[in-house]
Amino acid sequence: MATPEQKSPNVLLQNLCCRILGKGEADVAQQFQYAVRVIGSNFAPTVERDEFLVAEKIKKEFVRQRREADGALFSELHRKLQSQGVVKNRWAILYLLLSLSEDPRKQPSKVSNYAALFAQALPRDAHSTPYYYARPQTLQLNYQDRNVQSVQNSAALGSSGIGSIGMYSLNGPTPPPQTFVPGQSFQTPAVGDSLRQQLGTRLAWTLAAGQQPALQNITNKCHPNTVSRNVPRTRREGETSGSVEITESSLVRDILYVFQGIDGKCIKMCNSENCYKVDSKVALSKSLKDTTGRLAELGWLHNKIRKYTDQRSLDRAFGLVGQSFCAALHQELKEYYRLLSVLHSQLQVEDDQGVNLGLESSLTLRRLLVWTYDPKIRLKTLAALVDHCQGRKGGELASAVHAYSKTGDPYMRSLVQHILGLVSHPIVNFLYRWIYDGELEDTYHEFFVASDPTVKTDRLWHDKYTLRKSMIPSFITMDQSRKVLLIGKSINFLHQVCHDQTPTAKMMAVAKTAESPKDAADLFTDLENAFQTKIDAAYFETSKYLLDVLNKNYNLLEHLQAMRRYLLLGQGDFIRHLMDLLKPELVRPATTLYQHNLTGILETAVRATNAQFDNPEILKRLDVRLLEVSPGDTGWDVFSLDYHVDGPIATVFTRECMSHYLRVFNFLWRAKRMEYILTDIWKGHMCNAKLLKSMPELSGVLHQCHVLASEMVHFIHQMQYYITFEVLECSWDELWNKVQQAQDLDHIIAAHEVFLDTIICRCLLDSDSRALLNQLRAVFDQIIEFQNAQDAMYRAALEELQRRLQFEERKKERETEGKWGVTEAEEEEENKRVLEFQESIPKMRSQLRILTHFYQGIVQQFLVLLTTSTDESLRFLSFRLDFNEHYKAREPRLRMSLGTRGRRSLHA
Amino acid sequence: MASAPVSVSAMRETMDVLLEISRLLNTGLDMETLSICVRLCEQGINPEALSSVIKELRRATEAMKASENMTN
Repeated sequence: MATPEQKSPNVLLQNLCCRILGKGEADVAQQFQYAVRVIGSNFAPTVERDEFLVAEKIKKEFVRQRREADGALFSELHRKLQSQGVVKNRWAILYLLLSLSEDPRKQPSKVSNYAALFAQALPRDAHSTPYYYARPQTLQLNYQDRNVQSVQNSAALGSSGIGSIGMYSLNGPTPPPQTFVPGQSFQTPAVGDSLRQQLGTRLAWTLAAGQQPALQNITNKCHPNTVSRNVPRTRREGETSGSVEITESSLVRDILYVFQGIDGKCIKMCNSENCYKVDSKVALSKSLKDTTGRLAELGWLHNKIRKYTDQRSLDRAFGLVGQSFCAALHQELKEYYRLLSVLHSQLQVEDDQGVNLGLESSLTLRRLLVWTYDPKIRLKTLAALVDHCQGRKGGELASAVHAYSKTGDPYMRSLVQHILGLVSHPIVNFLYRWIYDGELEDTYHEFFVASDPTVKTDRLWHDKYTLRKSMIPSFITMDQSRKVLLIGKSINFLHQVCHDQTPTAKMMAVAKTAESPKDAADLFTDLENAFQTKIDAAYFETSKYLLDVLNKNYNLLEHLQAMRRYLLLGQGDFIRHLMDLLKPELVRPATTLYQHNLTGILETAVRATNAQFDNPEILKRLDVRLLEVSPGDTGWDVFSLDYHVDGPIATVFTRECMSHYLRVFNFLWRAKRMEYILTDIWKGHMCNAKLLKSMPELSGVLHQCHVLASEMVHFIHQMQYYITFEVLECSWDELWNKVQQAQDLDHIIAAHEVFLDTIICRCLLDSDSRALLNQLRAVFDQIIEFQNAQDAMYRAALEELQRRLQFEERKKERETEGKWGVTEAEEEEENKRVLEFQESIPKMRSQLRILTHFYQGIVQQFLVLLTTSTDESLRFLSFRLDFNEHYKAREPRLRMSLGTRGRRSLHA
Repeated sequence: MASAPVSVSAMRETMDVLLEISRLLNTGLDMETLSICVRLCEQGINPEALSSVIKELRRATEAMKASENMTN
């Protein structure tokens, strides 16, 4: 029999038909045709081709039938079969055997009525079997048509498992009396069981769950249950027949329409109450009415979802995220429609057969209630989603959907997760376009990065791209979205501002992968944080590349140092030389200054000092700038150095930054000038001290001058120390560290801004320390005034000295000529002049005294302000300025706030 | 693996094993029907379809017998 020769399947099939029917080839033509059609149209199996799985199922089946010994025997046989290796398609054979298996404990009950009917209907069924092994469909729906099929096959496999209970109850050797259950067909239970097993779908499970307890009940009280099973059935029959207007089957028909949102004959949409209601004229029992009401909810839910998708799918401005949400809803609705169509076809089959097969096989409201239980939960979830998503779009919509995925119900969660996957797919697409290509294709403003097309490239980094807070999906953290923004911004910055056309693939080693919608949802919700690492990697690479480009091609750090050296007077020799050169120019009124002269001087200063070794790129940008001239200004007031910034580095050195730099420069320049003036004063002291020794009447004045000058020198030195070491160097060090560690351009910009702010604040240039600055300015003014006064005094003194020397010389000359050295008139004139000069000395002294007084007053005021300042370094400055407590002795207010307690008690 | 001609004894042994399984599962297939089924399966016929065909055929047999009985 197991001949190796290969016969064609058709021949084999014919053999099979003959064999089973026990007839000759001619008589089985009809059945053979049918068999060929069924086999031919279902070539691919709808179940997993897994031998192990099938074997496991068979074992389970044995266990279920309490035939563990047979199960062991089967395992043995199966192993043997495997070891022999003659059969290739072992799973198929095992599967076939399993499908055909029957529980030996039961009498195989062959039923005549239905089978006869089937035999008649067979030819037609072969042409139009709507339920017969349809083509493999998506898994989610399989259960629905499978179900119907199972209902068809085992007509008694009812919604509550009653049918199969019936089968189990028929353990007895006697077949049930035909009359007992009229019109009911008893299919072999194995069909139902094996079907249920092979399907493994949800509804099958619900059936199984329903069966299990009932089964236990029934096996205990074996026979009576047949009666109990029939009792409610007959009672209901009585009920339905009692109502004249309507039967249950017509209600079922109506309900099927209502499921699609179409009003039925007697179930209509009630607008006032916003629900489906059974026509009030129709008399219905309360239970039927109740069931109908519960079923009709499905229609209402369907309408709600349908309305939303219909409204939105036409709305173009709704955006891609919204469209995919609608698509997801449609997909769900489609599955729902599939269920409906299956139900309809079931109804159709019943009509076509035109015979009342008995209540067990037909659709009933109760059966529908069970079958639509899962779809109802689905629709409910969808309707809730629709409600929640009303009026939202883009990322907001995704957030709304995401909020619903946080449920403990795994079934609902998987549904929402699926929708979320679809909804977030466009967002993921946006995201990848943005972080890998820097492109923003967001026509409907759904993505959480917004671009302002009016912003020019010079402000690209600062203003062009912003976060749309409302559109950030809730599954993306603020930190992540900020990084996402930064990544795309960096890419755009590189392309548009730095004109760096390196393809992003080269920038990033991160391989970008095409993501399907399933991955999208996983990506956002997984615990492994793949998304986070992806973003981090892209962020890290892009930022690093950007900083590299800025540092290498645009010398960002060198420019930063240049700012420090030139605008913050870090390059001492250059500044000193520049001041030397500029001094004659700058003492002139500001209106007579010309920029080109000053530029020339600047170049001279650069060439003469170490600045010449600097990068020409930097020196090129160094320039002179004259501030706005107000009447009475000298060159000193309007002169300023300038540094031209453009291109990418202008992103760090913005206009505001440069104006800050200018203010700081002016302050430092002024302070520097004071130092310069005091050096001049000191030089004057040194030079003139010997000359004026011959004029003893001046010694008092000179002493006064020296005292005041050294007071000023002390003050300015301490100020310079403070500015240089406590302000500039400290902040600079901080900035430099931060810049070295910076991960992205924003860090550098922020560090730089902090640096500038600190300097502005510590240099008393901010609005809070205006009073201090005014005092300081006054001190500076006093120094200038002192310089002028001293210059005038020296001039007068030197002139007097000159005259006296001339007088003496003339005297000597005449004496050598043998004449009288002086005439009386001459002597008188000389004495008069000397007297005049000596009389001018008290005036000088008083002028100096006034100057000293003012100066000290201002300094004391300054110190008082310093001690009350909140800044610690300023308080230390005041301590240093008044180290020997010279001012404290004069100013009572200083005594209170400065110094230790011991000192205070000393003064008291 | 069984593409080479297999010895008749091995074939028979396999068929015996399958028949035993079939008996255990109470499929009601005799040796010949089973061998036809095995051959069909080996040719890649979908077992789902095949099982349904067999069931239908059985049902048809029952129906025919019943009608015969009735006519008799």
